[in-house]
Amino acid sequence: MADTDEAAIHMPSQDGSAHIEVDLSDETQDFRMLSNISFLSDGSQASIPKRGEKDFEPNPTLYQADVLSASRQAMHNALSYPRIHHPKNQIVGVYAPIGPVAPPPTTSNLESITEETQPTESPSKAIGNVHPDACVYVANPKSNLFKTMGQADRWNRIWLLPEEALFMLERGSLNIHWPRSEVGYDEDEHSVEDSEIPMSLQAAYAAFASRGGLNSERFSVYTGLRRLGYTVTRAPGWDDEAEEASSNEPQASENIRQQGAGLAGIYSRFMKWLCPPSSNTALGPVAGVGFHRSYDDIYSKLSIIPWYDPTANLNPGSPAQAPYRVVFHVYKPSTPFKKSAPPAPDFRIAVVNARAHTSFPTLSQLGALLESTPLDPPSSEKMSRQLYMRLRHGYRNVILAVVDEGVVSYLRISEAAFGKEKLYKQKAVANKTQYRPKPKGR
Amino acid sequence: MESDPILLPIPISYIAGSYFLFSIDAVTYLRREHHICGVLSGTLPQIPQQNVFLGLPLKLMPEEARLLVEKGVACIVDEVNAQRAGMRALAADDRRKYLRELEAQGAHAMRLQTSRKELQREEALRKVQAKKAAAAAKKAGADAAPDAAGATAGSDEPAATENPSRRASTTTTNSEIHAPYGTTMGITPATSHPPLPYSPATSTTLPPPAVPPSYPLFAHLHADGYYLSPGLRFGCQYLAYPGDPLRFHSHFLVVAADWDEELDLMALVAGGRLGTGVKKGFLIGGAEHTRADDAGIMGEPESVRTFSVEWAGM
Repeated sequence: MADTDEAAIHMPSQDGSAHIEVDLSDETQDFRMLSNISFLSDGSQASIPKRGEKDFEPNPTLYQADVLSASRQAMHNALSYPRIHHPKNQIVGVYAPIGPVAPPPTTSNLESITEETQPTESPSKAIGNVHPDACVYVANPKSNLFKTMGQADRWNRIWLLPEEALFMLERGSLNIHWPRSEVGYDEDEHSVEDSEIPMSLQAAYAAFASRGGLNSERFSVYTGLRRLGYTVTRAPGWDDEAEEASSNEPQASENIRQQGAGLAGIYSRFMKWLCPPSSNTALGPVAGVGFHRSYDDIYSKLSIIPWYDPTANLNPGSPAQAPYRVVFHVYKPSTPFKKSAPPAPDFRIAVVNARAHTSFPTLSQLGALLESTPLDPPSSEKMSRQLYMRLRHGYRNVILAVVDEGVVSYLRISEAAFGKEKLYKQKAVANKTQYRPKPKGR
Repeated sequence: MESDPILLPIPISYIAGSYFLFSIDAVTYLRREHHICGVLSGTLPQIPQQNVFLGLPLKLMPEEARLLVEKGVACIVDEVNAQRAGMRALAADDRRKYLRELEAQGAHAMRLQTSRKELQREEALRKVQAKKAAAAAKKAGADAAPDAAGATAGSDEPAATENPSRRASTTTTNSEIHAPYGTTMGITPATSHPPLPYSPATSTTLPPPAVPPSYPLFAHLHADGYYLSPGLRFGCQYLAYPGDPLRFHSHFLVVAADWDEELDLMALVAGGRLGTGVKKGFLIGGAEHTRADDAGIMGEPESVRTFSVEWAGM
């Protein structure tokens, strides 16, 4: 009956779809809702408004026109909110168009002049361990954001990567100034002295959004996650050409395979020796003739179809090709993060431009991408009990961020190992607490 | 909405393979007059920790940018080169003028903020006072419960006499506190219009953007008054809204097809079911090949035919 079918579509059934949270960012929200937030209190305290009511279709009533124009006015007001910096706590960065350089010797103290002689010869190398793509330095890094962003050089300045600088400027936390060399002062190329002229948002996008491997898709993903509180760092796969560092440590794989050789294992091995499994299935039953002491034996003999074991150490295939490469490491806000020694990331993200790559990645592309991620077996206590969670979690996983003109969809891809879940070995009790997979919102 | 008339053509910044608008006036103008919404992709500085309300810049689809260029409303600017060349060519006078302007704006912002803080403080003080007065009145009322009439009169009076005096005192302090004129707010402007000129130099303008083959359908629906936005997240190419998405839900999931393209029946079923499931029509359409474009063969928006698929319950 089509009717009941449709009703089921419209009415959220009790289990699955009741869990779907309404993702407010899915659609355009009425900006009038925004004005409910009091801007007088500090921004972090503000709660996000509930979704507003929308009309079905336009009608020529004055009422509707008024509401629409009020919405547009609210949007106009919200978007024209200026980015201002109080002089007391303003953080000023300076754009360095040629990358990290040492400060000019004139500004440094007398004591440091002696060690200054070398840096002036090869400015980009002497800067320490600052990333070569960094292009904005901050002399007074007083913000919580620097806990997860930027790299310090020997002169206590923090260098920001293009995406970090642009994100901070966009959220109004950083005022970036042009260097003197870029705004018409007659100075040499390498001078990155502060010109006091602030960079506009437009200029910052022009300067940073295409710099050092950044593009607008990657930046959309970066800011979207940063806004939600995740810590996002570049992964080794950032540079399209660069060979990926072997992130394929054979760490956990060893102890997984060496399992379950207890007393029962010895017994079963003994039994196997007594009645060796016949490999010939052409004559006689697939399960083989002979003694069958348990159903497990029969089932294991019946499993004649080969399956893929993600934990098996295969010889590495082709390296992951752009864009199916991990470009971001993402950490949950709850994960303790140290800039100097970042922990293992919670998520690995590859960014795909949906306009440039219109088809789903091929198996070899996905395989190479998954192979570039370390083994992440479903080992938590909860997962050891729940079969469906284990299958869903998989043994390797990666998140694809598909960007369609600024709208980002996240897909989690994991390598499930159905062959490793031997159902016949499961106790009947284990299936009582059934886990229902939660439908993902996006 | 804004008093200043918009200067046409509006410069659209081409940066890192995408089309951006940075001017709020241009954004509201295009939304109101040309049904171009784009996708807001920036962080709102007033509430930076969320993804529901986003801010400038506005990201335009290549289709939207192309449409505006064809209408003569906008032009495409190679922003990276325009910025670099423009800023390098700044003269000392320009710099000084720009800095003075920013300083004036910063001082204004500072005055606004200090006066707002003052107001807030006053408000808070008044609230505390009102609370105190209410508590006192309650206490007085409880004490003189038997003699009710006298008690209310008695408690009313001190509150009434107290308030004006306090208010007077706060206003005097208010008038004493000036905005600290010496200090100014640092400002990050949204656009580079001052100091750079509004209209770009001809050397930095770019040809109209390359568009996907779905462009005729896009232009056709847009001409019919629909507001279109990217729809991959919802399983289609575009979402078609009957009015401004600020106020209306979308009606159609739009997928473009070639004129002679063979359609996979499964795709039709999937699209139809998806659309019906979210109470929208699944719209499929395309243009007859009539015009050879520099970007390839392209149909006219006028020759576009559209079909909508809906799951009917029988």
